[in-house]
This record gives sequence, C-alpha cells and structure tokens, in this order.
Amino acid sequence: MGAGALTCLMILVIVLNAIAAAAGLALFAVAIWVAVDGYKLYPISGVSGKDDIFAAAWIAIFTGFAFFLTCIFGIFAALKRSRALMLAYLIIMFIIFLFECASAITAATNRDYLVGNSNLVKKQMLQYYADSSTQGKQITQTWNRVMEQVECCGADSPKDWLEYNSTFKQTFGPTYLWPLNCCQRLSNFEVKDREGCLVGKSSTMFTKGCFQYIESVLSRYTWAVSWYGFSVLMLVFFTLLITMIYYMQLD
Amino acid sequence: MNTNAVIRLMSLMSMWMWTGQGQTFQPQLTPNDFQAKITSNTVILKQPYCIFDQTCNGCEIWLVAALSSIKMSLEIKVRVRYIFFFLKSTTTFDAQVNSSAPYVLNLSPYPAAFNPSSRNFFVTKVGPLASFPCSQSSNDFYFIVGAEGNCGGTNCNGILPNGSIVSFKYLLIDVNNQTIVNMSNWSPNITLLTFQNPQTINDGLSARSGAMVVITTILSVAAALLLLLFFIMLCIVCCGRKEGKPISGVSQTVMSSIRIPRYDTHLKDQVHPYDNPAYESEVKNYSTSDTLPKSGIQTQKL
Repeated sequence: MGAGALTCLMILVIVLNAIAAAAGLALFAVAIWVAVDGYKLYPISGVSGKDDIFAAAWIAIFTGFAFFLTCIFGIFAALKRSRALMLAYLIIMFIIFLFECASAITAATNRDYLVGNSNLVKKQMLQYYADSSTQGKQITQTWNRVMEQVECCGADSPKDWLEYNSTFKQTFGPTYLWPLNCCQRLSNFEVKDREGCLVGKSSTMFTKGCFQYIESVLSRYTWAVSWYGFSVLMLVFFTLLITMIYYMQLD
Repeated sequence: MNTNAVIRLMSLMSMWMWTGQGQTFQPQLTPNDFQAKITSNTVILKQPYCIFDQTCNGCEIWLVAALSSIKMSLEIKVRVRYIFFFLKSTTTFDAQVNSSAPYVLNLSPYPAAFNPSSRNFFVTKVGPLASFPCSQSSNDFYFIVGAEGNCGGTNCNGILPNGSIVSFKYLLIDVNNQTIVNMSNWSPNITLLTFQNPQTINDGLSARSGAMVVITTILSVAAALLLLLFFIMLCIVCCGRKEGKPISGVSQTVMSSIRIPRYDTHLKDQVHPYDNPAYESEVKNYSTSDTLPKSGIQTQKL
C-alpha cells in the first residue's frame, strides 16, 4: 500500500478513535447519572433482588472511561505506526467491547423482569408497604414520595388496595382502605377531604396508578445504558475494523 | 304443599302491590363515583330518602343486610314451577319475620349472623324516618354498610363476609310497638370483591421486549464477528511475516541505514564514498541528485 494511502488510513483511524473516545466519555457520564438514581427508585428494584440495571450502569461507568483512555492510546499508537502498540490496542479494545456488551444486554433483560407488566411492582407494594422491616421502610418511603409527587395511588389503580390483602390492610384495618398519601392535599399538606378520601370520592383522591411513572423512569435508565451503550459499541466495532485493516498495512 | 305456596305467593303479590311506590322501592348503591363503592366486605348505599312516605311517629328505618342465598333457598326446598319466582324469592326472610315470634331486631344478632348454620342476615339501624324527608333528598349523603368493622353489638353495622353476594332491604319499624310497619323490596344482588392473597400474583417474566432481543442478537453477532476477524488478521500477519523472510536476503545481512544513499565508512578497504545497498528511496523525492551535495565534499577528511 502506498505511503499516501497509508497516511490517509492513519488519519481515518485517528479521527475514529477521537470520536470513540468522546463517545466513551459520554457513556461514562450517562452511566454515572443512572447510578446516582436521581428519581430515587432504587428500592423498587433492590428489594426484589433484581437491580441489574444499576449493576449494568456501574459496568458502563468503567467501560466508558476505559474506552476513553484506550482510544487516546490508540491515537498515539497510530501516530507511532507501531505494530506492537496497535496489537495491544486491539486486544484491550476487544476486552472492553465484551464487557460493554454484557452491560447493555444485562440492562435490557433486567428491565423486562422489573417492568414488563405491573405484577412485580404491585406484589411488592402489597407485601412491603407499611411493613416494619428495613425493606418495608424503604418501600414505604419510596411509594409515599411517588404517590405525592406523581399524584397516583396503587400500582394500576386504587382498586389494587381493595382487591388484595396487604400488610397495610392488616396493620390499619377496615378504617383506612388505602394510604393517606393517595388523598389530595392542600398547599399546607393537610388532607383536603378526609371523609371523602376514606370512601374514595374521585375528586378528593388520586385515581390513576403509579406503575406508568415507575415504568417510564426505569425504562429511561435502561435505555440510557442499553441503547446508548449499543450505539457506542457499533461505533467501536467500525473503528476496530478500520484499525485492523490499518494494522495489516503496517510493517 | 302446592296450595300453601300459592297462598303465600298471593299474599306476597298483594303486599308487593300495596307497597309498590312507582319509584325504585329498594336500597340502591350510591350513584356517586366512589372508588370504594363495593369492596370485599363493605358497600356504600344511598341514604333512604323518599323510600317510605307514611308518616309515623317514632318510626325508624332499619336495613337488612343478607346473603342473597336466603332469597333463593326456598326455591331449592320447593321445586319451582312458578313464573314469578322473583316474588317467591323473598319468602324465606319474610317467612322468618312473619311467622316467628321474636322481634325481628333480635332475630339474628350480628356477631353470629353469618356463621354456617345461622340465618345469614343482620339488621342495623339507618336512622329515624323523620330524618329522610323527600324534599331533602340528595346524592351527597351515603350510608356505609360495614362501617363498624368486626363489631360485637346485636344490631351493629358490621362487615359482610368476604366476597359474598348480598342483597339489602329497608324495614320501617315502629320501635314503641315493636312491629314492622313496612318493608321495601330486595335490592338486586351485589357481588362483593373477593379478597385475594398477594402471593397469588405471578411476578415472573411476562414477555421479552423487542428492544432486548435486537440488542442481544446484534451485539452477540458483532462480538463474534470481531473475534473472528481478529484471528483472521493475526493469521494473515503471521503468515505474511513468515513468507516475507527469505525474499530480502541480501539486504538483511547489511546492517545499515536505509535512508542515506551514500556515506563514508572511513574503512580503508571500501570504496569512498560507500553506496548504501540497503537504501530505499521514498516515493516523493523532494531533492534530486543535482541538489544533493556532490561527492567531493563527502570525501573530505574530518
């Protein structure tokens, strides 16, 4: 291969590696956002033991940063035109590629377990809300916050509290059919109409279910790790192809 | 037995016609949009405005809450051949009320009301007749059957059995004379929600989403392809290196720079200047041999 074409290829390799380094750094940032869990919904996945979305986010933090460093090393190796360095670069990139694949697949699969339908979230709410164990306290806090902020009640609707037995029902008996957080409140946090809320008057309580919101947040986390990780991997795949061709043209 | 039943039927029909008011003469569910209108053990009814229009001092409206089965049990006992079986269906409760001597309010105390061999109904007070005049009828008021939970009084407003089918009826009772002045019709059957155990919810995997399948397959294929190409590349490079060795035999033995065409080795037995046989010229020759320093300068002793 002529020297001019080789230089062209080298520049292409450098440019692709620069883009991949930037993409890796962005993956690092997005994965940190997911791991920090700004919506504070971790207990819903943690209590059921299916918190792989967050585990995948942690893996993506490391692989994102590793992509960044390795791609910079790749730029250096391409400039040096050294076969040994390029080989090292290819091997390291391949290992990181495998880890990032694992992260993307794990996040997508785990999301199906958690929020494929509302059953898991509903069962968890019925069992752990108002329970006095540590998991119960976490779930109670999470649900209270969600019900207040999103203005919802129950998983699919308040009827979830009526149709199923629950820890809440055992504790608070026939007086309270559903938690008071289901009731509409005034700006000073007083319940707007306690009597109305106890019988379920639609104008004094929230009648939509919370599952939609929980599902949208967890899906947002998953697609951040999974789809963005997928797109970074496609870019890296293409970069590695070009780099392998460049490696073969070196001597 | 047939004539007995016919007489009962006729008496019922006459009572029905006498008590028929034209409007709905039975307890009704509240028309408001309440989430807890029907739960597994409570029901919310409209208050009995405009049900009875007799004026009666000291009369009170009481509610009979019963399992719908006591409406039908006579049907099972006496094989039904009557067309108006829905009229017949009220005879069981009415039979107990009319024929038995004890006052209806003490007939079936709440705590034991729904035990297996019990009468399967209880009676609870709604309010005095004077509180429910027709003119003040409003849907804002409601009456919760089962508001007192699992209570202990004889006529307390206790909860109904889980998930049962129930019916209601109003009684207009003169407390002083301990008589039933009037009775409304039975309400239609109301099916309570069944209380389910949350353990029965199946929280296993429901279905795999399309996105997950796409991501998994494409990434697996990409990783495998990458590995394959990597090995192919290594093979090509290694084979290429092995074949390339014997070709350039002469230049391998000469350990000299490839960049300088001529230089002086200062050795006595070699030509001055020395042509470098390992020299490889670049494609782009910025300088021609004319512009390079001439050989005379190169042989100058330093």
